Amino acid sequence: MTDAPILELTDVSAEYGPFRSLFGVSLTIRPGAAVALLGANGAGKTTVARVASGLVSASAGSVTVDGTDMTEARTYEFARAGVAHAPEGRSVFATFTVEENLTLSFRRALGRSRVKAGLEEAYSLFPRLGERRSQTAGTLSGGEQRMLSLSRVLVEKPRLLIADELSLGLAPIVVDEVYETLATIRGTGTALLIVEQHVQHALELCDDVALLDHGTIAWEGPASEAAEVVVTHLFDREGS
Amino acid sequence: MTAILESSRIAKSFSGIQALTDVSIDVMEGERVGLIGPNGAGKTTFFNCLLGVLTPDTGTVRFHDRDISELPVHKRAQAGIGRTFQRIELFSDTTVREHLLIAERVHNERGSFWKDLIGRGRPQADEIDRCDAVLELLGLAELGDEPVEALSLGQGRLVEVGRALMTEPSLLLLDEPSSGLDREETAALATTLREIQAEKGFAILLVEHDVDLVADFTERLYVLDFGSLIAEGPTAETLQHPAVRTAYLGTLEVGDQEAMP
Amino acid sequence: MLASFGEDFFRALLQGTPPGTVYALIGLGFVLTYKTSGVFNLAFGAQAYISAAMFFKARQDWEWGIVPALILSVFVLAPLIGLTLERLIFRNLRTASAVSKLVIAIGLSVALPALFELLANYKPVAGRPPTGIVPDGGSVFYDPFGIYPFSRDELAQIIVAVAAMLLLGALFRLTAAGLAMRGVVESPRMTELAGIPADRISALAWAISSMFAGMAGVLIAPRLNTLISTDFLTLVIIAMAAAAVGRLVSLPRALVGGMALGWFIALFNTFLPRWSDDYTWLKPFQENLTPSLPFVVLFGILVFWPAIRRSIDAADPLAGVDPPPPALASATRHPLLTLQTRAFGVVFFSFIGWVAFTQADVRWVSLLTQAVILATIYLSITVITGFAGQISLCQGAFAAIGGFTVFQMADRYEMSVLLAALIGALIAALVGALLSLPVLRIGGVWLAIATLAFAFFFDAVMVKFSWVGGGSTALLTGTRVPRPVLGPLDFGASDRSFLALAIVVFVIVAVGVIQLREGTIGRTLRALRGSEVAAESIGISPARARIIAFAVSAFIAGLGGAMLAMQQKDVNYGQNFTPFAAMFWLVLVVSLSARTVEGAAQAGAAFVLFAPVILDGTFLTWLPFITEDNLPGFFPIPGKWRFVLFGLTAIQFARHPEGMVEFGKRRATRKRNERYYARDAERAAQAAAEAGMAT
Ligand SMILES: Nc1ncnc2c1ncn2[C@@H]1O[C@H](COP(=O)(O)OP(=O)(O)OP(=O)(O)O)[C@@H](O)[C@H]1O
Ligand SMILES: Nc1ncnc2c1ncn2[C@@H]1O[C@H](COP(=O)(O)OP(=O)(O)OP(=O)(O)O)[C@@H](O)[C@H]1O
Ligand SMILES: [Mg+2]
Ligand SMILES: [Mg+2]
Repeated sequence: MTDAPILELTDVSAEYGPFRSLFGVSLTIRPGAAVALLGANGAGKTTVARVASGLVSASAGSVTVDGTDMTEARTYEFARAGVAHAPEGRSVFATFTVEENLTLSFRRALGRSRVKAGLEEAYSLFPRLGERRSQTAGTLSGGEQRMLSLSRVLVEKPRLLIADELSLGLAPIVVDEVYETLATIRGTGTALLIVEQHVQHALELCDDVALLDHGTIAWEGPASEAAEVVVTHLFDREGS
Repeated sequence: MTAILESSRIAKSFSGIQALTDVSIDVMEGERVGLIGPNGAGKTTFFNCLLGVLTPDTGTVRFHDRDISELPVHKRAQAGIGRTFQRIELFSDTTVREHLLIAERVHNERGSFWKDLIGRGRPQADEIDRCDAVLELLGLAELGDEPVEALSLGQGRLVEVGRALMTEPSLLLLDEPSSGLDREETAALATTLREIQAEKGFAILLVEHDVDLVADFTERLYVLDFGSLIAEGPTAETLQHPAVRTAYLGTLEVGDQEAMP
Repeated sequence: MLASFGEDFFRALLQGTPPGTVYALIGLGFVLTYKTSGVFNLAFGAQAYISAAMFFKARQDWEWGIVPALILSVFVLAPLIGLTLERLIFRNLRTASAVSKLVIAIGLSVALPALFELLANYKPVAGRPPTGIVPDGGSVFYDPFGIYPFSRDELAQIIVAVAAMLLLGALFRLTAAGLAMRGVVESPRMTELAGIPADRISALAWAISSMFAGMAGVLIAPRLNTLISTDFLTLVIIAMAAAAVGRLVSLPRALVGGMALGWFIALFNTFLPRWSDDYTWLKPFQENLTPSLPFVVLFGILVFWPAIRRSIDAADPLAGVDPPPPALASATRHPLLTLQTRAFGVVFFSFIGWVAFTQADVRWVSLLTQAVILATIYLSITVITGFAGQISLCQGAFAAIGGFTVFQMADRYEMSVLLAALIGALIAALVGALLSLPVLRIGGVWLAIATLAFAFFFDAVMVKFSWVGGGSTALLTGTRVPRPVLGPLDFGASDRSFLALAIVVFVIVAVGVIQLREGTIGRTLRALRGSEVAAESIGISPARARIIAFAVSAFIAGLGGAMLAMQQKDVNYGQNFTPFAAMFWLVLVVSLSARTVEGAAQAGAAFVLFAPVILDGTFLTWLPFITEDNLPGFFPIPGKWRFVLFGLTAIQFARHPEGMVEFGKRRATRKRNERYYARDAERAAQAAAEAGMAT
């Protein structure tokens, strides 16, 4: 079953208490594919990412990971099925040191014996983290915390990597680095779901694009055709 | 033009990490100044030193020709420095409009304990009008009654900007206002800020990783790296500085992304 | 002279070691629970007590051997309790505020021992001292230095404390579980994103920390003459100083802190009496400070220990996944519904008023009056906890200040008691403002503990002064307070007129509180609670706002306390205002609804009327055919069941941290609310359609 989609959302709706934010979203990601999730502010990109990693459960529709139905599954089961999610903003354990942050995750994802190697890889990816390995993560600068959060998923090379607001808060030179790494990771068979406000980079990396608008998929197609659609969609919202 | 903010030789270290070394940054009245630098260069730390959230090891801050180095945070805010936060800081359990109303009330100093007691503490019509005008400007009019927890990241950013604007600052410190906003909204925010700025004449000190926004929006630029200034000057020239390219820009061509509408 | 000084010093150190070990054990337990579950577990004492009592019962009543008794009490019962608490209560509270967790823990510290005593049919019997886990623990002594003998029990305590510190330290440093437990505390969701099942980890954490609590209880028990649960609570409060030194995260520091506390107290008690023979100005200190020394130390540590002020807050970075907390029911209510509610209120209260003023006998009038006055006091909790989000556990002391002022003023100067009540409230406000100064920079649970320390200090020292509590004369004559007379109105003549006065005071205070909530102060406090840095960045002074909140809250409490003293014609400190009573108040108000005036009112009614109306079965006699003679046999329900109900309340509260009243209101009104709004929308649509047709 190599061709079973790694992630399949079918008609998914999701809500936060009384606030409904997804209205029947369907999305399929095949192994090794790279999908960019675009859309305006508040369109529901983060919510889709959260549903895909089990942080928010779908109130209707179904979620399958690797062919198994996970609609009712807990977040940790998603992680064990090979979904790694770097949430938007500063998603680190603030009272942990840099090293503890990574260790917590690597112990399960890489296995006990490979934690060291994983740490080294993370530090070579972001040398700044290596310099600060015993600093409390909560005192890192905004960008450094983003690096920490990303390095976790980048090193683990999961089956599906979800990165929300990938380049947010990162210096351009670091963004280049991250995209290079993502390209390499793709080569090893990891599927990507990228949420990105800065469209250009995402379009270069990904082959498929899904465009969200007010909680529904407004357009879906290959990245090559996307540029135009995205531009008209994002910038002429009033006009359309 | 006179300098409203003069900070001189500010240094700050955290248990062995030198986060700022002798940073001096001035901002003229009504000017738009950028402050950029790689992650961990000390930009946010600098903001916090200006505002008194952190106490710098050395250095002084003068604002409107007055030494404010010893003032507590809220006094500096009252003196006319507004700010937004890199990591979004909203008042939980409070609606969008109330955010602005609180700021408005603090600013106009109409509140007092005794007025509260006799029922004159509730928001007045003129205050609500002013808040709604700002909400309108920022495109948040429809969200006025939402609790802030229900906002997406980008919407929350705009609320922060609005809250800072309500205090009518003469200097506005913006820490990555565009993060979480898409390009259209970033452009809209830049336009809005320009408009409001033209009207009120405040100065802006902008920290940002969106280089296009910096290039487009600011007149003058400071570049920090490892806690020290490595370049300063008019924006366009400074961005061409080789040190800035190696430390910060990498391969990025300024203006190579979609042009702003 | 010098030699004897050295020897005394050394002896004091040795003497301070056993109590120090007890503090250290509890301090370690605190750190352990806090690290692994994020709860500042005031119920630690209750858990320790239960295991100690179980062990004691198994040994003495069932005559079990030491090992089986130990296994039952520490390795079976204790973790079982922990797992139950985790499953029923704390799992729902993982992302709740520190306030809610602390409130639950306080509630449990009352409910758990009562529940255990009911179920296990255990009664503390005075004069039956508990035995420890080593044979002949209390009778065989070792005296390594020839100046102070250690009992076997004490040695066991020391060994276990050090071993526990090392073992638990290893758990945190070396095992994956240790890291995972800390992770779950900080953000269960992030831990799950890393593939770790948060529920299982937190269950494990509770099992371990409860086991440790049980162990500590069994070890400590031999130090007490009689096993009583409140002794454990007091010990726990003192030992918080140890946990504070460890900043709630460091096990070794908690150990050292606990020992140091024991040593300090022993040294103090050795040398101060001696010095005060030479320096008479030390005398009053010695006499008054000694009983409250632990609390003074605790307060001092909280205020001056620098690390406590600025510890980074570990807010859950994924809190954004939760929907926003619902707004107050009253804020979202349809106008029509508001009208209905008000109408119902008017009818309801008219009826109660009619009953109270025409039908009720003296006892019921007095109960009602007490309920109204307590509701007034509870409004002080509404201000400080509901609005400012700060936990104050010294509201009892503030209220007592009001009561004592009235007593003193009337007793000494025969001042009009109403004026004296105002002065008392002002003094309370002043004390509140002064108290808020040193604790300005500390927040959350630490503030709660600092105020608790103040409450115990007040209890142990201030009340004893003759210019406060009347001193020894009060023991004979009581702290008598007359009823007020206002011109032609004599509120002493009829209890009903005093009830009217109490209602007037309550209404005035309630209106003031609502005005504050809706006004600048209320909004400012809300902003501060939401984000202090952001509030400062728009020019709000946190210090000023907090001082005002404390002063207002203390003023209200003082006024209420004065009223209560007038009503009972006596301050009755021991019954009304002790620290334990104040803790109970807080739990009651917060679990009903801390942010609304109704919450305070209902808490007042519940506190006073619950026992006579419900537990005694009186409400049944209001129905036809039932009289006091044919009440069902299980009435009156024994008092201990009250605590069980209290525990159930805590479970409910865990589900609805906004308060049960708030929750109930919301649920009760939602349907109709929706219907009304839907109808409005329909009408608007219709109107729009008609308007559309017209053009
Ligand atoms: N915790 C929450 N409670 C209630 N509503 C929420 C919550 N989080 C998000 N929403 C709402 O759900 C909608 C989708 O939000 P989401 O965060 O998925 O948007 P987004 O596309 O990621 O936006 P952004 O680009 O600004 O991050 C928004 O309208 C937002 O207001
Ligand atoms: N409390 C602290 N303790 C130790 N180091 C700190 C502390 N606060 C900041 N630092 C360090 O100081 C440096 C400067 O941090 P700062 O937040 O100012 O960076 P920044 O320029 O704003 O970066 P970014 O663009 O990523 O937001 C960082 O390397 C950070 O790790
Ligand atoms: Mg988002
Ligand atoms: Mg920064």
